[in-house]
Amino acid sequence: MTITASTKIAAILKQNSGALDAIIAVSPKFEKLRNPILRKVMAGRTSLAMAAKVGGCTVEDFFIKLKPLGFEADTATPVGIEEKKVLPAFITSLKKEQIIELDVRPLIASGKDPLSIIVQKVKTIQQGQVLKIINSFEPTPLMALLEKQGFVSYADTIKEDWVETYFYKATVIETPVKDAPAGNSEGWDILVKQFENHIRTIDVRQLEMPGPMMTILESLETLPADTALYVYHKRIPVFLLPELAERKFSYRIKEISDGEVHLLIFNE
Amino acid sequence: MLGASLSTDPVKTTSYKVVLPFYAYASIAFFAATLLLVFSAPAFGRHYFHPHVIAITHTMALGWGTMVILGASHQLVPVLIEGKLYSNILAYISFALAAVGIPMLVYAFYTFNMNWVARRGGELVIGAVAVYLINMGISMAKSKTQNVHAVFVFTAGLWLLITTIIGLLLVYNFSIPLFSEDSLHYLSLHAHMGMIGWFLLLIIGVGSRLIPMFLISKYTNAKLLWWIYILINLGLIVFAFMFLYAPPVYCYLLPVAAVAAALLLFGYYCRQAYRKRLRKQVDEQLKISVLSVVMMALPVVLLIIMIIGLWVAGENTRLVLAYGFTVFFGWITAIILGMTFKTLPFIIWNKVYHKKAGLGKTPNPKNLFSNRVFTGMAVVYLTGFILFVTGILLSAVVVLQIAALLLLLAAGLYNFNVLKIILHKPAML
Repeated sequence: MTITASTKIAAILKQNSGALDAIIAVSPKFEKLRNPILRKVMAGRTSLAMAAKVGGCTVEDFFIKLKPLGFEADTATPVGIEEKKVLPAFITSLKKEQIIELDVRPLIASGKDPLSIIVQKVKTIQQGQVLKIINSFEPTPLMALLEKQGFVSYADTIKEDWVETYFYKATVIETPVKDAPAGNSEGWDILVKQFENHIRTIDVRQLEMPGPMMTILESLETLPADTALYVYHKRIPVFLLPELAERKFSYRIKEISDGEVHLLIFNE
Repeated sequence: MLGASLSTDPVKTTSYKVVLPFYAYASIAFFAATLLLVFSAPAFGRHYFHPHVIAITHTMALGWGTMVILGASHQLVPVLIEGKLYSNILAYISFALAAVGIPMLVYAFYTFNMNWVARRGGELVIGAVAVYLINMGISMAKSKTQNVHAVFVFTAGLWLLITTIIGLLLVYNFSIPLFSEDSLHYLSLHAHMGMIGWFLLLIIGVGSRLIPMFLISKYTNAKLLWWIYILINLGLIVFAFMFLYAPPVYCYLLPVAAVAAALLLFGYYCRQAYRKRLRKQVDEQLKISVLSVVMMALPVVLLIIMIIGLWVAGENTRLVLAYGFTVFFGWITAIILGMTFKTLPFIIWNKVYHKKAGLGKTPNPKNLFSNRVFTGMAVVYLTGFILFVTGILLSAVVVLQIAALLLLLAAGLYNFNVLKIILHKPAML
C-alpha cells in the first residue's frame, strides 16, 4: 500500500492491524489508539499529517516505522503547507463572558469518546460565543470537523498535555435568513432568494474593530464561488467596500435600524 | 456563564451633517493660507515674528489642521470607543464658534492690530475647543469601551485648550502687561504645546488605529502606545517647566530626546503594522500619509540643529521659520492631504448610498474623486514644499514666490477633488 501525508490512520490499520504498534512506537501519545473506542473515533478522522502534529513528530517518522510492514511512502505528494499560527481576529477581542469551557481530559482518561459530549455542547453555542476545549493534545481532527460546520478555531498549547482550543461560531452553513426582514428593495430580496440554499452567515456585531473586517475577509477566502456571505453588522462597513471591489466581490446592503445592518456579499 | 447575554448596544455613525462643514471649511482655509502665502512670500525671507507669517501660521494651524481634525474626530471617536457622539448640537456650536473666531484672529494678526477683534476671535476659538472637549468627554464617559487611542485624543484636546488659552493671554499681553516678558518670548511655549500636545498626540492616537486598519493589519501594541503617550507628555511638561526656570540652552535637548524617542517608537509601530499587513498593494493616499510620518523627522532634525545653533551662535531666524514651515506645510498638511481622501469619500458614500445599497450595484467609494488630480496634487505639493523650504534657508524671494504659486495650485487641486466628492450625485452602476 502506498501511503502519503494525507492517508488516514484507519486506512493503514485496515490494511495491517500490526501497524498499530508501529504507530505507537513513533510517539507514546498514540497509546490511546489501543482503546478500541477512541481508535474508532480518531483513526478515521486523522491523517498522518494531523497525527504528526498531535504526536509532536514528523510524517517521515511514520514512513520509517511503517516501511518494514510493507507500506510504500509516496514523498512526492506534498506534505501539505505548514500552517502559520496566526491569531484569528476573534481571539484578540475575546471577552471572558463569551467563553464556554469544556475539559475533556477526565473523559479521555476514563476511556470514553468525548466527541458526543463535544457535539452536544457545540449545539448550545450561541452566535458570538466561544467554546474552549481543554485536552491533552491539539485536536486537529475535531478542528477540521468543526471548521466544516463554520467554526473558526485556534489551539493554544499551555504546556505538554494541556492544550486549550477555542472554537468561535463565526459562520454557520444553514439558511437562517428566513427571519430577514422583507423589504421592498428588489435587488436585495431577489438576491437573497437566488442564493437561498447557498448562504453562509456570520455575525460580527460582537467584535471590536478591526475584528469585523478581518473576519469578513477571512470568511470570504474560503467562500465557495456559488455561495453568498450574509453578514450581521453594527454599521455599514464603508472601508470594507473597496476591499470587496478589489477581490471581485459584489454586495448589497440592507439597513435594518440604527446599529443593525445586514450585508450580502457574493462573487461577481 | 452559559447563555450570558452579550450587549449589542446600538452604535450610530455620526451624521455627515456634523462632519462636512469642518471639512469644507478646512479646505477653503488651506486655499486661503496658500493665497496669503503668495502675497506674503517676501515675509518669509525675514523674521518669523512677522504679522503675515503669524496670520498664515494660524490659518494653517486652526483653519486647516484643527478644523479638519475636529471634523474627523467627531466621526472617528465614536468608532474608536464603539459608542456614539454625545451631541450633534454641541458639534455644530463648536463649528460655529471656530468658524467665526478663526478669521477674526487671522485678520487681526495680518493687520497686526491686537484690539477687540483679536481678543473676541481668540475667545471664540477657546469656546469652540471647550465645547468640543465636553462633547468628546461625555461621549467617552458614556461608552464602555475605553482604549489608549481615545485617551490620546482627549489629552490632545486638553493641550489644545491650554494652547489656545495661552494664545489669548499673549494677545492681551500686547497691550496689558500680564507677563514679565513680551509675547515673542512665550511664542515657543505656545507653539510647542500646539504642535506636540495637540497635533502630534492626536495624530499618533488616531494614526495608530487608522494605519493598521488601512493596511488591514492585525498588529496592535497598546503597551508601546502607552510608552509613546508618556514620553510625549513628559517631554512637553518638562519643556514647560524649563521654560519657567530658564536652564542652560542644551537642557532643551532632553525634552526633544523624549519626543524623538516617542517618534522612533511610533515609526517602529508603523513598520510592524506594515509588515503584518494583509493588503499587498498600498494606495496613493496611504503612501502620502506614510510619507508624512517620515516627514515628522524633518522638523526634529531642524529643531536639534536649532538648539545646538542657539547654544553655540545664538538664534537663527531662518531655521526657526523653516522649522515652523515644515511642521505646518509639511508634516500636518501631508497627513491631511492623504487622509482626506481616506475618510471623506466614505462619509459621502454613506450619505448618498446607505439607503440605495440594497437596490443594486453601487460605485466604489474610492471612485468618488479623481485619482489623477490627486496624483497631480501630490507632485505639485511636494515640489512646492521642497522649493519653499529651500527659499527660506537661502532667503531667496523669487524661489519663495514660485514655490508659493505651486502650493496655491496644489490647494486648488485639493479643493477641486473635495468639491467633487461633496457634490457627488447618486449613480447606480
